[in-house]
Amino acid sequence: MSRRVLLHVGTPKTGTSYLQDVLYKNRSRLLKQDVSYPADRFDAHFLAALDLMRLRWGGLEAEAVGAWDKLSAQVREHDGTSIISHEILASASRSQVARALASLGHRPGGDTSDGGTEVHLILSVRDLVRQIPAEWQENVKHRARFGYGRFLELIQDPERAHRVGAWFWGVQEIPDILDRWGADLPPERVHLVTVPPTGGSPELLWDRFSTAFGLAELDLKLTTQRANPSLGVPESALIRRINRVAARDLPPQHYRPLVRELLAHRTLSKRTKSARLGLPPDQYPWVRELTDSWIAELSRRGYDVVGDLQDLQGAPAPSGKWVDPDHPPERQVASAAVDAIKALLLDNAEAHAENERLRRKLEVARRELVRARTPRLMRSMEWTVHRLESSGKGRQALEVYRKARGRNSRPA
Amino acid sequence: MSRRRAWGWVAALRAGSTTPWLAWPTDGTGEGDALAAELPGAQQLALLRRLNLHAAAAGRTVPTDIADRVLGAGVSGRGRSELALVGVDEPGQSREAGSSGQFGPRPVDPDALADDELLRVASALVADDVAVAAAVPDPEPSLVERVRSVRRPWVRSFVVVGMPWRADAVRADLTARGHRPGGRRPTAYLLAEDLETVLVQAWTSRCFDQGGATWRGFVRANAGAGNLPPRADVARMARSAAYKYGAERVRVVLDDRLMADELGVPRLGAPPRLGAHAVDLVRRVGEPLGLLVASEERPRLLRETLGERLDGRGGPPPTLPPRWDTWLRTQAERTRHDLAAARYPVLGDLDQLLPRPLGSEQSGPVVPVDAEVLSLALGLLLDPVTATARTQGKEDA
Repeated sequence: MSRRVLLHVGTPKTGTSYLQDVLYKNRSRLLKQDVSYPADRFDAHFLAALDLMRLRWGGLEAEAVGAWDKLSAQVREHDGTSIISHEILASASRSQVARALASLGHRPGGDTSDGGTEVHLILSVRDLVRQIPAEWQENVKHRARFGYGRFLELIQDPERAHRVGAWFWGVQEIPDILDRWGADLPPERVHLVTVPPTGGSPELLWDRFSTAFGLAELDLKLTTQRANPSLGVPESALIRRINRVAARDLPPQHYRPLVRELLAHRTLSKRTKSARLGLPPDQYPWVRELTDSWIAELSRRGYDVVGDLQDLQGAPAPSGKWVDPDHPPERQVASAAVDAIKALLLDNAEAHAENERLRRKLEVARRELVRARTPRLMRSMEWTVHRLESSGKGRQALEVYRKARGRNSRPA
Repeated sequence: MSRRRAWGWVAALRAGSTTPWLAWPTDGTGEGDALAAELPGAQQLALLRRLNLHAAAAGRTVPTDIADRVLGAGVSGRGRSELALVGVDEPGQSREAGSSGQFGPRPVDPDALADDELLRVASALVADDVAVAAAVPDPEPSLVERVRSVRRPWVRSFVVVGMPWRADAVRADLTARGHRPGGRRPTAYLLAEDLETVLVQAWTSRCFDQGGATWRGFVRANAGAGNLPPRADVARMARSAAYKYGAERVRVVLDDRLMADELGVPRLGAPPRLGAHAVDLVRRVGEPLGLLVASEERPRLLRETLGERLDGRGGPPPTLPPRWDTWLRTQAERTRHDLAAARYPVLGDLDQLLPRPLGSEQSGPVVPVDAEVLSLALGLLLDPVTATARTQGKEDA
C-alpha cells in the first residue's frame, strides 16, 4: 500500500505541462528515491483522467479504456510516495472524486490509522485576468469557432448551461474545485500553489511546485522543456478563422498535428512581437469582485498556500490600447497567415519527399519479392543469357541457339 | 433543515414517489435521514422521478436496486457535473461537509432540467449495462446452425458492398443460409436505395461505429460542405468495387428480390429498423461506452444489445430538413448519372436512387427529439439490456 499520494488536479495553464514533463522524464530517478510517477507514456495520466470522467476527446478516449484502474493499481502497489498529475481532473464531479479517492486507498476523513493512504491534494492556480484569455485561446486550439466576445458571454451565464461555460468554471472556479476534491481531506493536506505575477523570476513557479511536491531535496534533471506556448491576438484570430472554414473537414487525427502542433505551437507561437491576448478593460470589475470573494473564502478554509493568495488578484488593466481578437489588425493576421502557409508548404514538401522515398523503397521491395518468387531455374537462365550477351562469342552462341529453336526471343 | 427535507424526498423517490421537489412538504413531515455522505445530484434525482413516472404509467414500480443505480450514477460527457437542489445548502444555510455552498453551478429545480441533462446520466447507465454484456462470450453455434452455414459448393462467388448498415445485415443473413460471401472472382453486389435512405443508414452506421455527430450536425457538415459522406457515396463505392473486383462484376442492387433470385435465397436479410430517436440514443450511449470497451468491440456490442432491443422503435427514420432538398436532389442525380455512365449492370431501376416524393402523411422533417430519446432510455433503465438478452437475441435470430 502506498503511504502518500500527491494528487495534482489542476488548474490548466499553470505550468502543468512543464511539471509533468520533468516528472515523466525523471521517473526512473524518482523511483530510485522512492517516489513513483507511474506513466508508461507522457499522456498516461491524461488518459486516466479521461477514463475516470468518461470524457470524449477527439478519439483519444479509445486509448483510455481501463486507464484509471491501471493507474490507481500502480499507485496502490507502490510502497512510498506516488504522484498523479493532470489538470483536467479539476473538472471531476463529486461522484468521480469519490471513486478516484477510494481507488487510491483513501479512507473517509483521510484516516490513515488502519493503513489508509495519505492523500495530499495539490491545486496550482493563476489569476483570472490571465486565465480567461488563455482558456479562450485553448478553446481555439481545440477547433473552437466562437469569438472572444461570445466566449466572455458564455462564461458569464449564471446558469452555465453551455458546455463552454460549464467546462471553464469546472476547471477554474478554485473554491468549487476544492469543494469537490477537498471536502473529505483535512485542510492541511490541501496545498494551493499560486502562479507568480508576470515578470517575476522564471524559477519561482518551479520552486513553489518543488516545495509543494517535496521535490526540492530530490536529485532531478530540469533541462527538459515541454511548454504549452501562447499565441498573440492576430495569431489566435487566424487559427479561429482556419477553424471556421476547415475544422469540420479535418478529422481530429489530422487537426492535432497540422493545426494545433504545426501551426499554433511550432509556427505562430514564435511570433512574439504581436499584441498579446488580454482581458477587455470592461471585464476587470467583475473579475476583481469574484477574485476577492475567492481569496476571502480560501483564506478562511486554512489550506496550505505555497506562494501568496494575493497572486490571484492579477495585474491591473494596462494603460495601453486593448487589441480585440474579434477585430484584429488585418495586416498582422495576413502576415501570420503567410508564415502559416510557409510552414504548411515546407511540411508538405517534406511529406512529398518522404512519400517519394517510401515509393522507391516499396518498388525495391516489390522487385525483391518478384525475384524471390521466381524459380531458381528461371533465374539461372536469366543469368546465363545476361552473361552470354555481354561478349561477342556469347552473342553468336545465342544466335545459333535461337535459330535452332526456330524463333527469335530477343527484345525488339 | 433543508438537507433532511431533501433526504426525505430521496427516500420517497426510492420508494416510487413521483412528487416534484418543489411540491415536497416543507412543514417537516417530509424529512428523512441521510442515506449517504452526499446528496445525489439534481440530474440523478430528476431522472429517478421520471423513471418512476414511466413505470407508473405501465402499472409498474421501479425496483430499489435500479433506483439506487440511478441515484449513484455519474454524469457523462462535457457539461455541468452533479447539480445541487434549489433550496438546499444555499448561502446562509449550514452545510454538513466541506463546502460553503456559495460556489459552483447554481442550485436547480430538478423538474426544470432539460431532457438532455437527464440523458447524460441515463446514457451512462445504459452504457454500463451494454459493457457488462461484453464480458459474456458468444454462445457456441448449434449443430443445426453450423450445418446451415457451411458454404455450398454450388453457390456462386459473390460479395456484398454498399450501404454499410444494410450490407452487414445482408451478409450475416446470407452466411447463416450457407451463402458465405467470398470465393474466386466474385460478383460484387452493391446495395443502394434512394439517397435520403442511404444518408440515414450512413448516419445510423456511424452512430453504432463511432458516435459523434447528431443527425442535424451530420447533415449540415456534409451538405454544408457540398459533399456526400463516404458511407453514403454510392458512386464512389461502386468505383472502389470496380477497382477491386473488376467493373464487369459490379452489380447495383435496387431491387432486393432480383438479387435474392440470383443467389437462390427466398429473401435478403434486413437490419433492425431503428427510428430517429432510437438511433440518437445509440449515439449517446456509444460515447460513455467508448471508455468502457475497446473501440473495435463497440459496434458489435451495440448492434447485439441496443440494435436488437430497439428494433422497430424510436419513431420513423429521420428526414432531411427542406433546406437541403436541392442539395439532395443534385447529389442523387449525380450519383444516378455516374452509375449509368459507368454502365454497371443494375438489378432494378436506377431512378430509385432519386429522392422519393414527399408523402402527404408527413407534416414536417423528422429529427431526434430529446423527450422521445429519454423515453426510450427510461425503458432500458427499467428493463436493462443484459447479457442474457444479448445471447437470447442471437438465439432467436
